[in-house]
This record gives sequence, C-alpha cells and structure tokens, in this order.
Amino acid sequence: MLDELELLKKDWQKREASLPKLSYEEIYPMIKKKSSSIVKWIFYISIIEFIFWAGVNIIFSGPETMEELKAMHIYKVVMALNVINYVIIFYFIYKFYTNYRKISFTDSSKNLMKAILKVKRTVTQYVWFNLIIFTISAIIYSYGVLLYTPEGQEIVTTASQDGKSVAFWALIIITSIAITGIVLFVIWLFYKLLYGILLKSLRKNYNELKRLEV
Amino acid sequence: MKKELEHRFVTELEDNQNIVHKVCSLYTNDKDSHNDLFQEITIQLWKAYPKFRGDAKFSTWMYRVALNTAITLYRKSKKRVKTQDFDSVLYKIKTTDYDDTEERQLKLMYDAVKQLGDIDKALVFLYLEDKNYSEIAETLGISEVNARVKMSRVKTKLRTILNP
Repeated sequence: MLDELELLKKDWQKREASLPKLSYEEIYPMIKKKSSSIVKWIFYISIIEFIFWAGVNIIFSGPETMEELKAMHIYKVVMALNVINYVIIFYFIYKFYTNYRKISFTDSSKNLMKAILKVKRTVTQYVWFNLIIFTISAIIYSYGVLLYTPEGQEIVTTASQDGKSVAFWALIIITSIAITGIVLFVIWLFYKLLYGILLKSLRKNYNELKRLEV
Repeated sequence: MKKELEHRFVTELEDNQNIVHKVCSLYTNDKDSHNDLFQEITIQLWKAYPKFRGDAKFSTWMYRVALNTAITLYRKSKKRVKTQDFDSVLYKIKTTDYDDTEERQLKLMYDAVKQLGDIDKALVFLYLEDKNYSEIAETLGISEVNARVKMSRVKTKLRTILNP
C-alpha cells in the first residue's frame, strides 16, 4: 500500500503541469467579490435574529402598554424584567461580536471550526434566552389580565360561581404549558433545520478531529 | 496604499495558484464547483492577507487558508464522484508516460482518495504535498501522534476502497 501511495505522490507532483493557470487579470476581480460562505450566512441570520427580538421588545414596550401595565399592577415586575432583558441582550451582542471576530482562517482547522460553532452557539443561546423571557412575560401578563382587568375578573367570577375554580386554574396552567411547549418545539425544529443544513458537514468534520484526541 | 496591497497579493497568488487549484481539484468534482471554490478561497485569502506577516512563507500560509476554506465553508453539491468528470476536468493522464496497468492503478487510487471524507482528504493532500507530520498536525490542529494514527487509518481505508 505504501508503494501505491508513493506512486500516487510521484504522479501528483507530475500533474502540476496540467493544472489550470489563471492570469493576473483573471484573479484581480475575484478579490472584489463577496463571500458566499456559511460564516457569512450565520452572520446575516444572527443579525436578523437580534433585530427580530429587539423589535419584539420594542413593540411590547410602547407608552400605551405602560399604562395598561400600571392598571394591571404588574408595571414594576415587567420593568425589572425589561432591565434584566436589556443587560443580557447587550451581553449577548458583545459575545457574538467577539466570537465572530475570533474566526480566523489562518488558525488550525480544528480551532477554526470550533470558533464558527461557538458563534452559532451564542446565537442559539440568545434565542433560547428570549424565549424564556417571553414565556415569563406571558405568564405575568395572563396573571395581570385575569386579576385586574374587567374582562378577566368576569371570567374568574364565572368560574368560581360554578364552583369549579380549581379546575379552571388547572386548565389555565395546562393550556399555558401546552402552548409554550408547542411554540418551543416549533422554534427548536426551525433551528434544527436552519443551522442543521448550514452546519452539517462542518460539525461532522469537527467531531472527527475531536474524536482523535480522546 | 490599498492598491499596492492588492497588487502584491494578486501577484503572490498568481505565482502560487497551483496550491489552490490542487485543493479545488480534490474537493470538487466538476469545473463549475472548482471555479466556485477557487473564488471562495481567493476571498478568504484576501480577507486574511492584511494579517499575514512575512514570518511564514506565503505558500505555507496559503495551504492553511485554502484547506480550511474547503473543509469548513464550502458547500458541496451532492453529486457523487463520477469518474468521467474526474478525467475531463483537470487531469489528463498522459498515456505515453505509463503502461496500462500503472495508469489503471493510479486512476483507482485517485478515485479512492476522492471518496474519502473532508478531513481524510486533507491529510492525504498534505501527505502528497510532501509535508511532514508536524506540519500536518499543526495545520489541522491535532497532535503529531494523532496525525500519524489518522494517516495510518486513512491508508487502511484506502486499501479497503481499492480491494473491497
């Protein structure tokens, strides 16, 4: 076998002559073109994700919402949640940016792949974090709506009049959990597909190198 | 200033383009993909060029960026390796140089190498380029011992492909 590889090596070196040869004029325009690599895609997708979640936050914190929140007695809780939210978002953006900058093609293959996967991981963590915040907010909102708005109170009173107050609350909780579960599952699936397709071979190659070290 | 840098880069790439073409020929199966990968590698080389300091040889540095691009970034078309593609694209084995059996054997070898995974291919490529194990290990980011272990596994794999 070794002989065959040596034979191949000799032939390989002989083949240099038959390789294509591009001229200066052919190469020059190439450096002006845009990359179509997966790193670029991950970068774009991440930016969209940051904008999307920031948008969701802004929509839910307009002045009318503030008044409604006060009426529902959950203003302080929601504001505290918002502060935490923004601090963590800035942390994630900083993290994403530094991770992205660390991607270097002059690094070893293993480190390069690790760096790319790390960027992706930061973004995924960011999305999960947003989902958690979103779920918590939804719970706080339902609490406010049911206890402090006229419509909510009506529902609660009707339920207790029927003497089914325990069943009513159980139903509310189960429904919330089910809806949250379904939403999380759909989003998880979406990510699995989105990044799965983009990163399939990269992850495979990375694991192959990592397995060697064990 | 920028023009000067561009000029220097393109000239160096022009002189060393063989390395990139060889990577492309191993990782792609048709002319279009070959050109696509060449384009992508050129972009990555150019992007990394300002950080390239003269302490390493330009060609050594190119091996790394070119292989890394092929391994991590390039999205291959799902097309299976077709032997006629392989012949028609780049390599025309000169029949005058070889007798029939050697030519046949080489063709089988090349086909077998093309069937390997990305990492294994990189290993074989560096081996064919006469790199030593410490260079191979450094390029891929594994230890020298592991590079040797991996290479011997690849040899076994090639043997199985050749003699099923």
